[in-house]
Amino acid sequence: MRFNEKELIFLSRQPSDRSAELGMRGPKRGDVVKRRLVKLIVNFLFYFRTDEEEPIGALLLEQCRVEREDELVFSIVFLDEAERKYLFECDSRTQCVEWIDAIMKSSYEFMRKNLIFYRTEIHRLTGKDPLEQYGISDETRFQVNTGLPPLHPPLP
Amino acid sequence: MPAAESKENISHRLLLPGSGARYLYFNTCQIDVRARAGHGCPPGGVVMKIHGKIVTHYLSCTSPVDKEGYLYKKRERNTTYLRRWFVLKGNLLYYQERPGDRNLLGVIVLEGCMVQACETDGQFCFSLVFTGPGLRTYRLAADDHLSQENWVSALLCASHLYLSMIVKDLERCYKEARKEKGLCDLIQTEETSDNTMASRNTGHVYFGHGASVVPRDGRSYSTGSVLPSSTTNRPISYSLQPPPVSFKTNNKRSPKLWPKRNAHVTPLNSPAPSYGEWPVVGFDPLEEFSKLHEYYGNEIKELRADWLKKKREEMGYIEEDLIDLG
Repeated sequence: MRFNEKELIFLSRQPSDRSAELGMRGPKRGDVVKRRLVKLIVNFLFYFRTDEEEPIGALLLEQCRVEREDELVFSIVFLDEAERKYLFECDSRTQCVEWIDAIMKSSYEFMRKNLIFYRTEIHRLTGKDPLEQYGISDETRFQVNTGLPPLHPPLP
Repeated sequence: MPAAESKENISHRLLLPGSGARYLYFNTCQIDVRARAGHGCPPGGVVMKIHGKIVTHYLSCTSPVDKEGYLYKKRERNTTYLRRWFVLKGNLLYYQERPGDRNLLGVIVLEGCMVQACETDGQFCFSLVFTGPGLRTYRLAADDHLSQENWVSALLCASHLYLSMIVKDLERCYKEARKEKGLCDLIQTEETSDNTMASRNTGHVYFGHGASVVPRDGRSYSTGSVLPSSTTNRPISYSLQPPPVSFKTNNKRSPKLWPKRNAHVTPLNSPAPSYGEWPVVGFDPLEEFSKLHEYYGNEIKELRADWLKKKREEMGYIEEDLIDLG
């Protein structure tokens, strides 16, 4: 499967609020904990060898579950496969909690639901659709009844 | 063998001297970044593992697709356009030969690109222009003008950055709207009281619309996972009233009368909920869960002690526990 690697790497090198050296362990048996620079940018978790500029991997943070494993450890499970669990060791309890929170809130789907919630509430409180000013009221992705069959046929 | 571990590959990465947060300019023209499966070690290439299964899973999962249809995609080093089935979901643009194909040809992450429409010889083209040194421009074309317009507007608002900007703005508008209505602040502060924790529906703590703590052991959080149907079909928020009762349950017989929330849909014309699910800052579920566990555990212990006592009286002898509760 192709992907725009150069562009993703470029993205990974942008400043991030959520970037730290953590102990990281992969999901396979025999994977050991390695010190990695972990960086959260949009809905991707990039990880680098600590002395390198280019990331060695990128994890898409959608359809995943973040769990607290321990005081200092959190895990991310993908594909509902409990075996495919990535572990991250933090230096402090606060750091651990903050990372879990940040990862959860970084998902596109999470943010989309927030938007729909705010849109609905603002409309209810003020009678106005806040997306009108942006000209995106009709975009499929922001519709309140996403998940239900569309009222009109989808656009070509 | 994971490519990232091979020594050959390491030599192509830039090494930072000591500490220092400077970004080094990387001459990407030397890098061959054409098709690779996310592992393997092509000579002269930087390999970043994309964890393809996770990316494809997002496409095939139950969350709705934002747009799909046929488009023509210009080949990178060629003038030919190939017809491909494109699926836009979130900030990812997937493409394959035909709809329903199990084999995905590729995905384009839509962060950091401009979307530009262009008219060339009646072709309804548009481009995804990634801004940065050595970055690519994807050239696409639609079947007609309407399709071109719809794709361009869909792609313009597809990025995560764009979405987060809108959400931040809406959050501000929402708070203002609530202030104007004289409603109290929904945002939980650091001092989340025991009151709020125990008053939620057993096991379900909402961090915000769309993300729930899965109560396997009270410590996990899902992103975008399938929610109970009441949430997905009802975007209107729950009304989460704090319980009017104290923590002591008067009825010792039934442990089920735990203080719980009344979750019901707010009718459109009524005031907004006075207590929200939105967002809990500084909340440490590990701490709160053990408190919860202890609290409910004590209640069970008391009930059990009562039951055992009654049983002894009735039966005249001590009955063994069927289950060893330790």
